[in-house]
Amino acid sequence: MKLKNFCGSPEHAVSRRGFLTSLAAAAGTAAFADMSAIQVLGSPEVANDLRANQKRVIMLWLAGGASQMETFDPKPGVPTGGPFQSIATSTPGIRISELMPRMARRLKDTCIIRSLNTRNADHGSAARIMMRGRMGEPSVDYPDLGAVMAREMGLEGSQVPDYVSFYTATEGRSMSPGSAGFLGARYGSMDLTTSMVPENIRRAGVNEQDHSERAELRDQLSGMFERGRTSSSLDSHNQAYRRVSGIMANEQLFDIEREPQRIRDRYGNTLFGRQALAARRLCEAGVPFIRVGRAWWDTHAQNFESHQEMVPELDHVMSTLLDDLEERGLLRNTLVITLAEFGRTPSINSTVGRDHFASAWSTTLSGCGVRGGTVYGRSDESGNRVAEGEIGAARLFATIYRALGIPHTKNYYLGARPIPLTDPGTEPIREVLA
Amino acid sequence: MLRCFTACSFFLFGSSLAFAQPSAQLLPADRSIEQAVDHYIDAKLKEDKVTPSPRADDAAILRRLTLDLNGRVPTVVELQEYLASTDPIKKTKLVDRLLESSAYSRHGAQTFYAFMQYSEGRPRKGDKGNPLYDYLLSSLSENRSWDRIFREMMLPNEADPKMKGASDFLKSRVKDLNKLAIDTSSTFFGVNVSCAQCHNHPHVQQWTQDQFYGMKSFFARTVDSGGFLGERDFGVVKYIPNKGAEKVSPILFLSGKKIDAPGMKDPTGEERKKEQMRLDQGKKAKAPPGPPQYSLRAKLVETALAPENREFFARNIANRMVHRVMGRGLVMPLDQVHSENPASHPELLDWLARDLADHGYDLKRVVRGLVLTNTYARSSRWEGEKAPDERLFAVAQVRPLAPMQMATSLKLTTADPQSLPTDRKKLEDRIVALEGSASGLANLFPQPTDNFQVGVAEAMLFANNEALQKSLLAGVGTLTERMKQEPDLTKRVDLAVRTVLSRPGRPEDVQALVGYLQRRQDRPDAANQQIVWVLLTSAEFRFNH
Repeated sequence: MKLKNFCGSPEHAVSRRGFLTSLAAAAGTAAFADMSAIQVLGSPEVANDLRANQKRVIMLWLAGGASQMETFDPKPGVPTGGPFQSIATSTPGIRISELMPRMARRLKDTCIIRSLNTRNADHGSAARIMMRGRMGEPSVDYPDLGAVMAREMGLEGSQVPDYVSFYTATEGRSMSPGSAGFLGARYGSMDLTTSMVPENIRRAGVNEQDHSERAELRDQLSGMFERGRTSSSLDSHNQAYRRVSGIMANEQLFDIEREPQRIRDRYGNTLFGRQALAARRLCEAGVPFIRVGRAWWDTHAQNFESHQEMVPELDHVMSTLLDDLEERGLLRNTLVITLAEFGRTPSINSTVGRDHFASAWSTTLSGCGVRGGTVYGRSDESGNRVAEGEIGAARLFATIYRALGIPHTKNYYLGARPIPLTDPGTEPIREVLA
Repeated sequence: MLRCFTACSFFLFGSSLAFAQPSAQLLPADRSIEQAVDHYIDAKLKEDKVTPSPRADDAAILRRLTLDLNGRVPTVVELQEYLASTDPIKKTKLVDRLLESSAYSRHGAQTFYAFMQYSEGRPRKGDKGNPLYDYLLSSLSENRSWDRIFREMMLPNEADPKMKGASDFLKSRVKDLNKLAIDTSSTFFGVNVSCAQCHNHPHVQQWTQDQFYGMKSFFARTVDSGGFLGERDFGVVKYIPNKGAEKVSPILFLSGKKIDAPGMKDPTGEERKKEQMRLDQGKKAKAPPGPPQYSLRAKLVETALAPENREFFARNIANRMVHRVMGRGLVMPLDQVHSENPASHPELLDWLARDLADHGYDLKRVVRGLVLTNTYARSSRWEGEKAPDERLFAVAQVRPLAPMQMATSLKLTTADPQSLPTDRKKLEDRIVALEGSASGLANLFPQPTDNFQVGVAEAMLFANNEALQKSLLAGVGTLTERMKQEPDLTKRVDLAVRTVLSRPGRPEDVQALVGYLQRRQDRPDAANQQIVWVLLTSAEFRFNH
């Protein structure tokens, strides 16, 4: 099988997956054999080709659960519709909350899905489902979307991390940590929780010369040990150390001060804006998956005041990100997912809040592989139920994988047991795909 | 209505090796474990015309045994003594000493704890104060038999405070009976029945939906009762099969043995009242409720251990112990021991299962037998063209260290070797203290899986975390301080290699390391630290080989 986004020249016609398939066949047990197998360090040309066409994801994670009624599925005029009006968008007939005027003007790359029924309104388990596309089972720890992207789109020996997660707020962080599950630490997330600089990315206590020369000596000694010993665990150990200097050299990717003032102003001087800008820098450099967590959406009280404050920020950051990606030619290959663990109840509680609600809520997919300027599905008049096009997390994920060119039926192997990316029989939503 | 969330088609090995059918004729039961293992492994090698790799050298054997049996690498003095000894049975003596050490139970408890928690691949959670870990530790300390551990975990006596941890396996799963059935079956019988939850197994004829619900039925009456485990007198599992109407699941063991139990019909009001009173009495007294008139869990234990059904229980532990010692089971994966996934050496699996059952499921005895085999003692290096199929056990496996093995060994090897007591008893005490101080460090490393992949975060941690480097490489009482006292660079490097890699220096690595020190004569202290860093971060340290 040839990688769809791979450059066509014959000397590069060794596709990653093709390599993998043969490797897996040779190994007999396919378990974990198919990790990215193109040696990027050895062939910068291949790396550039790949990077130009590699699919990427930026996920805007609205932790706590943003209200669909104050964002993408407004219901002005119904008793629980809240105080905000809806406005027309660039697509005739589609209206979103008046709190999102910028997204209303640039809906062309975005598909709004208004028919999620994910059946779970508990923060922790809902976050697990929405990061994985399924609940899982007791003895199988499924990888999340970031880890799958790291595995599918990360390049061996890559100079950049494969999976970066910004999650600075304390609220809900423990509910949805990045998790590589059975794929293992190789595909785990680089978490930025306390600062914009990743842990252990800066040299400390050793001068530059010693730092690099001891790494060379390490490589030499490990090489002696490796002779005559074959094991994928052993390879991964040396690969991990070989990636250190490249990742360190790329620390500047996290430094948005390196962006022109004009760009920084565009994203705005909020934490969310700054992290979204860092995400764009990482995306541009070839990081396959970046999540930007924006918390405090869990508005059990004062839902409208909170949304009045937070939705315009989301509108600003999301629209700026899409503009910027488009201007750089990146949106074609980058899928921006705006998602939470669930939405919020149409009913309004006694503290003017909305509570957890997973029965009829919204998400958006923008950019890569998506039919923009559209809406899929419909909630009923009150917003209590899905009236049309009901989907769960599984179909959302099948759609996401398809938009990225990853076969959603692809299997990973746990020992001899095949584990498909999505549960068998799950179909992507054609209407959402370009 | 249950939906199938899991993909259950099974990939079967396109077998390049022809596996023999198990024969009724096994080697006699009076053979030693060593003899039986080597007999079957060698026979298969001969049949496939593969010459296994040679015996590993003494230093490699010492390191492997110390890691496998005591969860740490050997000290410089232990290495010196072992290499110097000309005693023809020094290996056996070493094995017996390691098995007698209290570290054997601690390391064993870590290993069992990890697999019972299904924590492979996840960041390690501390064992501190975990009742299940404590229970496993005390069980292994007195070499409690595996069938007794099984019985105690299935039928825990919660009134006995010392047995508190035995109930943890059930208690942590009692709110999810599916999980309880699946984990019990995987842990103790080597069969993951989760596939059969949704449909009959596509490839394994013997696995039907009844198999899953049948196993679940043994736990159908198990409930949380005021923080204690209770078992009701009534209760069945009902399910809607793929074809047909809702039915009551039979109580069915994996072997096909059906259990006729009372309490399958709906209880009368009177009976229900009586049952509730029994549970309420416990709650009121803040004590475990009294036992039911008929315990399904007790029936599970009885059935699983009965000679005619015990093959699941016995094969599972035999396979898991081979995996623990050799780094690979006779059947892989460990929870897929079924007819369509044959063992690499079916007769050996049967022989070991019988041997375990005949000898009261003595775990220490089987570990001892396995580590004394020639199979265990092979080199992990393959000099030929292409390494043979792993299923032949022709080459020793290279295995990543588990979190506590890694952390304890880091602490031990970076300490000044002369600061370690040479007296065995005192060294044991020091190791206990080291393990205590290594526990936090261990949480930085994930529990390895069978195809474990090291993440870049680990390399970044070692490369750039200043606190970690300082604690390991600098200051009073460290190896690098001792290295300063040795003016001869070759001897200094040899000391570092012996300490960290548990073997004498070899010309090629000594040369490279001495060269490095010579180029750094303007900053010798830093150079010593970097030498130790290089050794600690080499694959040779990170793996058991």
